[in-house]
Amino acid sequence: MKKRLLSLLLAGVMALSLTACVGKPGGSTGDGGNKDADKKSGYELALITDVGTIDDKSFNQGSWEGLEKYAKENDIACKYYKPAEKSDEACMTSIDLAVKGGAKVIVTPGYLFEVPVLQAQEKYPDVKFIMIDATPSNGKGKVKINDNVTSIFYAEEQAGYIAGYAAVTEGYTQLGFMGGVAVPAVVRYGYGFIQGADAAAKDLGLAKDAVSVKYTYVGNFDASPENNAKAAAWYNEGTEVIFACGGAVGNSVMKAAETAGKVVIGVDVDQSTESATVITSAMKNLQPSVYNAVKSYYDGTFEGGKSVVLSAAEDGIMLPMETSKFKVFDQAKYDELYNGMKDGSIKVANDTVAADAKEVPTEIVTVESIK
Amino acid sequence: MNVVYFVIQQTMYFAIPLLIVAIGAMYSERSGVINIALEGIMVMGAFVGIFFINIFQSQMSGQTLLLLAILIAGLVGGVFSLLHAFAAINMKADQTISGTALNMFAPAFAIYTARMIQQTQQIPFQDTFFIDKVPVLGSIPIIGPMLFQNCYITTFIGIGIFLVAAYVIKNTRFGLRLRACGEHPGAADSVGVNVAKIRYAGVIISGVLAGIGGLVFVVPTSTNFNATVAGYGFLAIAVLIFGQWRSNKILMAAFFFGVMKTLASAYSAIPVLKSLPIPNEIYKTIPYIATLIILAISSKNSQAPRAEGIPYDKGSR
Repeated sequence: MKKRLLSLLLAGVMALSLTACVGKPGGSTGDGGNKDADKKSGYELALITDVGTIDDKSFNQGSWEGLEKYAKENDIACKYYKPAEKSDEACMTSIDLAVKGGAKVIVTPGYLFEVPVLQAQEKYPDVKFIMIDATPSNGKGKVKINDNVTSIFYAEEQAGYIAGYAAVTEGYTQLGFMGGVAVPAVVRYGYGFIQGADAAAKDLGLAKDAVSVKYTYVGNFDASPENNAKAAAWYNEGTEVIFACGGAVGNSVMKAAETAGKVVIGVDVDQSTESATVITSAMKNLQPSVYNAVKSYYDGTFEGGKSVVLSAAEDGIMLPMETSKFKVFDQAKYDELYNGMKDGSIKVANDTVAADAKEVPTEIVTVESIK
Repeated sequence: MNVVYFVIQQTMYFAIPLLIVAIGAMYSERSGVINIALEGIMVMGAFVGIFFINIFQSQMSGQTLLLLAILIAGLVGGVFSLLHAFAAINMKADQTISGTALNMFAPAFAIYTARMIQQTQQIPFQDTFFIDKVPVLGSIPIIGPMLFQNCYITTFIGIGIFLVAAYVIKNTRFGLRLRACGEHPGAADSVGVNVAKIRYAGVIISGVLAGIGGLVFVVPTSTNFNATVAGYGFLAIAVLIFGQWRSNKILMAAFFFGVMKTLASAYSAIPVLKSLPIPNEIYKTIPYIATLIILAISSKNSQAPRAEGIPYDKGSR
């Protein structure tokens, strides 16, 4: 009995750890560009995914599409790699692999690469690194960016702001924010969402406490019955729209919205095709910014050694107005907000403004932070 | 009252797949074959079932499509479990190892195949199966909102499967033989029961039910299938052990797990629980702690089938 249980447990752990890494595609290549890979010096353009896959309908996919687009247009061989597991060593191994495979430019989406790239930038000074949502650091706050690295951040709070503004303009007063894990990008979306809702409530002249936001981080980026039940509970309690900000968590929230007849705001990329309940998506323009960064390398204008924040001013964020299902919030209002952010008349505080969502300064909106 | 109905409706989404799969596991284990491949079989069932829905959702919709998908998921689960049965019964292999092999194979197969066919590993599907309210039955006070509103037809299928399965194992000749093969295959063999055949039947039944369970698990909780059932196959084994290999206790165990999972996720919407100073991690751990306690207490006189996990060898009779 004892033995049996032990083996059961071991097998369970093995199988679970396996499912965590079965997504490993062994590095398939883009459709185009790789035909003459043998003649040239391997795969010049490489992308290394974080825990997601290149078809995660989110972050990794957006980055990959940007890279692939440039590669196809210019007939350059490209390839993606997936670390075997979620660890610095595995990420480093993937970088080694990519360099061996002939990579000259490596795109790394995600904060997981902060420590590995800190080493890699020294080890491979001739290889350019494009980091998305991350900057080389030792994990303890010490940042060092060499000349061969550029790190791209997005002003997610601005996208969250417009989404929050739109939701309240549409007449929703009970909002929800369901983040994946409290990493800076997710927090920026969330805080922006609260501020946008507050601004809209002010503009509409709503009474104090007329708008409430439930705010939580579910602790993972998965579609699971637990996340589904959480969202269903909120909808059942009266929440009208949930900003689902955590990769596949969104799928669970959409499901809950479908059964409850409520709506969802998507994240990172246009998620309107995922479910009819998605009224809009708070997007960051991953694809064009990766495209431009790769292009800058081939143009000889690669600017390393610094990190850039792409905001409305650089068209780094947006809401897909064509696919949005708004009744009141219109293009004119969207442009007004967008231009306001561009010229600085609308200021949105980012993740540094407060330690907890409850402390984000608001005048009308009440935030209920659920742990 | 609304909250109570809500909790019960949500509990079904957790409990029904656990119940179906655990009942399947009961059939396999009480015939004498340990089946830890349930996770993998669930993935296979869900994969093919959802793929079927994905392909045919343009031609049909609603309950017909779901029922057909369930049949196909069950069929695939049954066929897939044959691999385990062959290894465990004919080849007398270590059942834990062959089960683990299936668990490893299934998600890899699902991802590979999905990518080959449609380039992405997630398989989206449209949910046309949700039932707001069952006609007539949904209007019954109290019971209506509890069982017949905001539900899926899978809930009733699950309960139906349970009733049939519980009856068959207890009251039919086949059930008796199956139990005998799990307790003392030598004795069963001596009176002319074909142990291999019965064990095959046990494993196939568990495969069919696990395949169905996989589909039933995915449909109410996501908008696509991403090659995982989030460890619910293993959870079903915990339910089986918690239920001490007896159908009625398994029913209670499945619902106990379901309620606890629901409370852990939805406690913020339940006024009574929200005011208590208990973090939701406590609710999450309760089912597992309870399983450990039950195991500790009952390990001396465990109800586990005596011959489970031991390949039957005629020579040792």
